[in-house]
Amino acid sequence: MSLSPVQFIAVPLFAAFLIPLIGKASKETVKLVPGIVLLYLSYVALNLFPRGLERPIVEHIAGFNPPFGITLYYGPLAAFLTTLVTLIGFVIWLYSYKFIIREPFEKYYMLFMLLITGSTGIILTGDIFNMFVFLEITAIAAYSLTAFLRDKDGAEAAFKYLLIGSFSSTFVLLAILLIYMQTGTLNLADIALKMADVPITMKIFILILFITGLGIEAEIFPLNGWAPDAYSQAPSPVGAVFGGIVVKATIYALMRIVYLMFNFHSVLHFFVIMGVITMLIAEMSAMRQHQIKRMLAFSSIGQMGLVIIAFGLGTEPGVRAALFQMFNHALIKTLLFFSAGYLVFHSGSKHISALDGLGRDKPLTSFFFAFGALAIIGLPPFAGFWSKLYILLSVADAHLVTVVVLILISAVIEIVYYLRVVSRLYFKRETATDVRRTPLSGLAAMGILAVVILFVGLYPNTILDWLTPAARELMNTSEYIRTGLHLNSGLLSINF
Amino acid sequence: MIYYAASILLILIGMYAVLVKKNIIKIVIGLSIIDSGVHLLFIAIGYVKDATAPIYSRPGLEAGQMVDPVPQALVLTAIVIGLAVTAVALSLVIRLYDHHKTLNINRIRKLKW
Repeated sequence: MSLSPVQFIAVPLFAAFLIPLIGKASKETVKLVPGIVLLYLSYVALNLFPRGLERPIVEHIAGFNPPFGITLYYGPLAAFLTTLVTLIGFVIWLYSYKFIIREPFEKYYMLFMLLITGSTGIILTGDIFNMFVFLEITAIAAYSLTAFLRDKDGAEAAFKYLLIGSFSSTFVLLAILLIYMQTGTLNLADIALKMADVPITMKIFILILFITGLGIEAEIFPLNGWAPDAYSQAPSPVGAVFGGIVVKATIYALMRIVYLMFNFHSVLHFFVIMGVITMLIAEMSAMRQHQIKRMLAFSSIGQMGLVIIAFGLGTEPGVRAALFQMFNHALIKTLLFFSAGYLVFHSGSKHISALDGLGRDKPLTSFFFAFGALAIIGLPPFAGFWSKLYILLSVADAHLVTVVVLILISAVIEIVYYLRVVSRLYFKRETATDVRRTPLSGLAAMGILAVVILFVGLYPNTILDWLTPAARELMNTSEYIRTGLHLNSGLLSINF
Repeated sequence: MIYYAASILLILIGMYAVLVKKNIIKIVIGLSIIDSGVHLLFIAIGYVKDATAPIYSRPGLEAGQMVDPVPQALVLTAIVIGLAVTAVALSLVIRLYDHHKTLNINRIRKLKW
């Protein structure tokens, strides 16, 4: 079987449907299926990566040529993001292996596979309606996973999420409808080509629909009310899935659409402002939280604000810094959710005050939490430092001094609330000891993430070398249109 | 024109139900009314007056005499998605009712910002 980007969507989807059938035969094998699938996808990702960097792979589904058929576009940016999703997905599976032991775990793994399908689909697709379908696959799986624990608050958080999420999908659908009405096409590259003829009022209306629709899933400020509840009521690995995978895919969708279809500079300033508001409000809310997972959820929103600011700059270093921050945040927030999951498990309470003295009782888990906290606030030897530094540098290059100051203020707030938790772990008297051990698979998952974070922190250039072509791809709209539609293949070869 | 007006009216009725009603089942019904409105709007933009279904059903039929097939294909997909969302929503409603013994949303809201 030859390797192709289609497998990123087809294999997990197939596995998701296979899991209940395998579950009938043997419950234990079910646990292994997602691991095997994600390991295979990582293999595909690592093999396709150099090819995607060299020249974007455009896959035509069912042999229809664009703009009529559905295409998959696997360029440097998609290569980078799919690799990130599969690797994070694998680590999350490793962690879930001993964490999700409640009975309907085959349903958990099925929904998890659907989430992976949806996210990679959003990243790869070159067709806007297809993107909507994958958004909905992701969303439906996410609603169900939020309510996985079958408790009171889980159902409520899931219902809230579903209510807001349905509105978001209606807005996205309306935007797609208006685009189809105006341009008569659904292919992203073709839309970008024809968007120039659309009247400006219509463009603004479509843009507003997209921002509200995708902004809900991407946690932009007034639209993110669902996030803290969903993050804290869902099982911990699911919080990591939301923060590490789903949000990344939707931010990508939003940015791809904005960069492709709306001639940017006036629009992008708006994103800088939204990003700043999102970041400040989220960091201040995080400060007020008494529950650890809610705190992490707000911190996650704050980090997304930072990413949106950097995307909004509209410069190549800015976009590169935003992608770097997305990468780091995916790793670090996943590590934090993992360790917080076991800290909550051991202390028996979601409250931060219950964590007193766990640093002595559960040294490894607490160490990983402290490690993640130091990495996310941007201490030098860790990965978080570099992405924050690059974001600050690119903001300073754009002469936005106030934004620099506001980012630094929010960084200080972040330091305060993370170190508050870390100090409780280590400098408070021990209250009770828990005889249960943190399972090896959980520790291994956290260990892998910690090693990668440290490695990227020490050698940031390994990642930056990949990010430069990815950022260029997002910026260079005409290149995307040409490769997406196979126009002027002669010109194309000269450009490479 | 009447299709456009009707679909926008449907969307507004649905929005009203979702935002104003206190019963969570009515909210779910509102969501699916919004969906129907959007679906009708989809069909309306592909509609051509006096045209036939987009199938070459008799000889001499040309593409110009047919309605646009793409919105119809999209609506079929959107209907299926809407069905799935409604199913998940109703199952969550059942679970909420089991826990709270009420369908009034004001008495359920415990989680806040």
